[in-house]
Amino acid sequence: MRSLRRLARWWRFRAHGEELAEELALHREAIERDLIAHGYSGPDARDAARRAMGNETLMREDARGVWLWPWLEGVWQDATATLRGLRRSPAFTAGVMLTFALGVGANAAMFSLIDRLMFRPPAYMRDPASVHRVYLFRVRDGVEQLAGIVYPRHADLERFTTSFSDFAAHSLRSLAVGVGQDARELPIGVVSGTFFGFFDAPPALGRYFGPAEDRPPAGVPVAVLSYSTWQARYAGRRDALGSSLHIGSAVYTIIGVAPRDFVGLWPLTPPAAFIPVAAYAASATDGNWPTNYGWGFGLATIVRRRAGVTIDAASADLTRALRQSYLAQGYPERLEALRPRAVASSILEERGPDRSGVARVAIWLAGVTIVVLLIACANVASLLLARALARRREIAVRLALGVSRWRLLSQLFTESLLLATAGSLLGLVVATWLSGILRASFLPGTAPATIATDLRTLGFMGIVTLAVGVFTGMLPMLQARQLTLTDDLKTGARAGTHSRSRARGALLVLQGALSLVLLVGAGLFVRSLRHVRDVRLGFDADSVLIVELEMRDVKLDSAGTVALRQRLLAAATTVPGIRYASLQQAVPMAGMSSWPISVPGVDSVRQFGEFEFNAVSPDYFATMGTRILRGRAFEPVDIPGGERVMVVGAAMGATLWPGEDALDKCVRIGLRPDTMPCRRVVGIAEDIHARGLGRETRNFYYYLPAAQWRPHEGGLFARASGDARQAIEPLRRRLQAEMPGTAYVTVARLGEIVEGQTRPWVMGATLFTSFGLLALLLAAGGLYSVIAYHVAQRRQELAVRVALGAAAGDVIRLVVSEGLRFAVSGAVVGGAIAVVGGRWIAPLLFNQSARDPVVFGTVTAVLLIVAVGASLIPAIRGARVDPNAALRAE
Amino acid sequence: MKHPDLLPGTLDLLVLRTLTGGALHGYGIAQRVKQVSGDVLQVGESSLYPALQRLLLDGYVKAEWGASENNRRARYYTLTAAGHRHLASERKEFEHIVAAIRLVLANA
Repeated sequence: MRSLRRLARWWRFRAHGEELAEELALHREAIERDLIAHGYSGPDARDAARRAMGNETLMREDARGVWLWPWLEGVWQDATATLRGLRRSPAFTAGVMLTFALGVGANAAMFSLIDRLMFRPPAYMRDPASVHRVYLFRVRDGVEQLAGIVYPRHADLERFTTSFSDFAAHSLRSLAVGVGQDARELPIGVVSGTFFGFFDAPPALGRYFGPAEDRPPAGVPVAVLSYSTWQARYAGRRDALGSSLHIGSAVYTIIGVAPRDFVGLWPLTPPAAFIPVAAYAASATDGNWPTNYGWGFGLATIVRRRAGVTIDAASADLTRALRQSYLAQGYPERLEALRPRAVASSILEERGPDRSGVARVAIWLAGVTIVVLLIACANVASLLLARALARRREIAVRLALGVSRWRLLSQLFTESLLLATAGSLLGLVVATWLSGILRASFLPGTAPATIATDLRTLGFMGIVTLAVGVFTGMLPMLQARQLTLTDDLKTGARAGTHSRSRARGALLVLQGALSLVLLVGAGLFVRSLRHVRDVRLGFDADSVLIVELEMRDVKLDSAGTVALRQRLLAAATTVPGIRYASLQQAVPMAGMSSWPISVPGVDSVRQFGEFEFNAVSPDYFATMGTRILRGRAFEPVDIPGGERVMVVGAAMGATLWPGEDALDKCVRIGLRPDTMPCRRVVGIAEDIHARGLGRETRNFYYYLPAAQWRPHEGGLFARASGDARQAIEPLRRRLQAEMPGTAYVTVARLGEIVEGQTRPWVMGATLFTSFGLLALLLAAGGLYSVIAYHVAQRRQELAVRVALGAAAGDVIRLVVSEGLRFAVSGAVVGGAIAVVGGRWIAPLLFNQSARDPVVFGTVTAVLLIVAVGASLIPAIRGARVDPNAALRAE
Repeated sequence: MKHPDLLPGTLDLLVLRTLTGGALHGYGIAQRVKQVSGDVLQVGESSLYPALQRLLLDGYVKAEWGASENNRRARYYTLTAAGHRHLASERKEFEHIVAAIRLVLANA
């Protein structure tokens, strides 16, 4: 009851105070009237009444204080006092808020990204801790490698294990949805009938498909739409159920709609629809797929552990099943060499063994943003410290008047917490803006993250805000605890501060050190990026467009397909802006084809590594910009009936025929290569990077004439004469006109694929650089404020020096050398940290030493120059002190 | 004139007792205590108003704005039922202590 009355009164706090004031005034007037009635004169009565009443404000506060919880009263007073103080110094307040906003905002954006990549369990998933993604490993060329999962393998694992209550296969495919003009390639979840059982997500409409509709070999062509597709394509109409939809090369009947925000396992690329594995596989290949270990489409397996089964036991069970599966496949002799192993890992892909380079760089950048936050904190702490020092005398007076130290500290603390909170609110804006940029550079083409409405990110921001507020409040508090009353009262703010700013000095050194570390990181990444850009890929990715054919349900015999490809090839070169075009069967860095080969005089070709090839038409080398080093490229004479020819990469020639000329050598290619006729090497091409940007020591590349090798397979390359982006749409339109029925073509830039490879370095370079510059800016601001403050404190001292004959240059040197001292100490400390930390960053760099003296030297120079610049302004101001005025002022 | 200190806790008792006669404003309460005690007890403003707020908080009195004798807005306090009960029990307690003190003074 009392608490309720307190609360009610608290609501009208101000009104309450006014009522009390009115009541007291009435009381005073009543006394006054009494006194007049007793013969006092008017003014005398008023004075006497005032005296009798005493301190009305105090009385009012006391009376009002009855209603307050004692601590609340303290907080309220601290908060109002702080707000008053902050309003008096808007520049300081704005500076601190902005610093916090950048620091907290950057961290929130980074958290949101990493949370999405690595921590947040899939939406709607039931008990995600017991669900695992299965990874298979096997030894190849003496190295253990990740192995893909094909359907029969998945089925074997399910059949041979006992540790799991649920088992599902899934794959995210990019498939054409719809036909004609509104056909779009959209992400489609190809999932087994047991997939939805992993989730607690009742469908928004209709039902999910189950195992009955996912039975090999044909399944039932049914589809479950995502909520947003249902809204966008069917305007949320219920009669969407039962209608049919073209997905990929089959027609599916819509039987249900998933609930809002259900994205399966793909929060970054939410599927537009879900279709059964069996129905998809039946439409994409022949009827043997359930038992064909050689045909896969990027399947992955997820499992749910039974209660009481440990993760290790689950992995062991899977490994046992995997060995049994290889036996069932009929390769008992290969078991020893393959040494297959299975692991039940996190359901989140980026936490498993197959994590992307993006995730690794993201973790690093999270570290970087924390460093930026630390610098921001150091900066704010240093500013707060300056304020606390400037208020020494005020504080000493208050202590002398009997304010408890605790109350004093809590006020300092309130200040830092209030600033941190205000800064974080501003940081929300920064985070939203930054997360857009992060998404564009880390995860292009993914669904946007919501910062402001995401409870996890907001919770994180709350914790960071609290930590930052406490941390920055701590230093001024420590300082305030050391106050010696009498000294401070005597000397005021002038003396003492200079010698006692060791804490601020340490903060400055820390800021300098951290900026240096970040800038070194930036320098290393920028140089890495330059190395990456300098890599000669062996082809010009930027001008080349990739054309792929999607036949859907159009069935052409191989002669028909060959004719179609020839028509497309001819059509492509008629498009304005397209210079050359060629047939292709493999896209470097995106896919590969490989067949067994044998070379007379070489025992086992496989010992050298992997031999990949592309089957191309005569203009291929002109299209790609790959140089022919010796011999010739393919020519129109290389037709099915003509001489069997090939072009080999330089490294392949040098490896297979060391010290000899590779031209005119013989290579046999086929499933049983020794039985095949010779293929003559007619040309040697420069090497290309077919797998990535790194050194390719164990994979080799060669070329066959498209006319002589499965001429009905593959797509096209086209070379644009100008901007490749501008040529995409005209080319697609022109080629689409040649496509029969529902078949269609897709056109994409080869540059996009290469950019995917360089992305970690581009990202590292841009983000390290921007954060490094931000850190430098913060540190420069911190240094400037400290030096400026010192100069202001030393006005008298400097004035005395000038009066005694010091030249302006002497004063400037004195002040600047102080700033430089901080910077040099910071550089030394930071340099040490960077050298030690380099060990961890080295794997992310490209042909770049983590201890590059050029980078270290340049960055140190930049830091020192900035330090000189930051101290020069206050130094000049100090040198201009008018000794007369300064000395008289005291 | 000497103003003896009030025993701790007796201010609430006096205020409550004074209010049994009807609604009074703060000044009225102070005047009444002074008059009735023959100018011996004087309630200081600095303790009266916090005491009134405390009694309000505890729900022993309630306050209403009304017009004063010379038509100014004044806050009048009246005793609540809980206040009556509290007065009775406090009064009993007080009598008890005074009796005890008398005993000690008479016999020790």
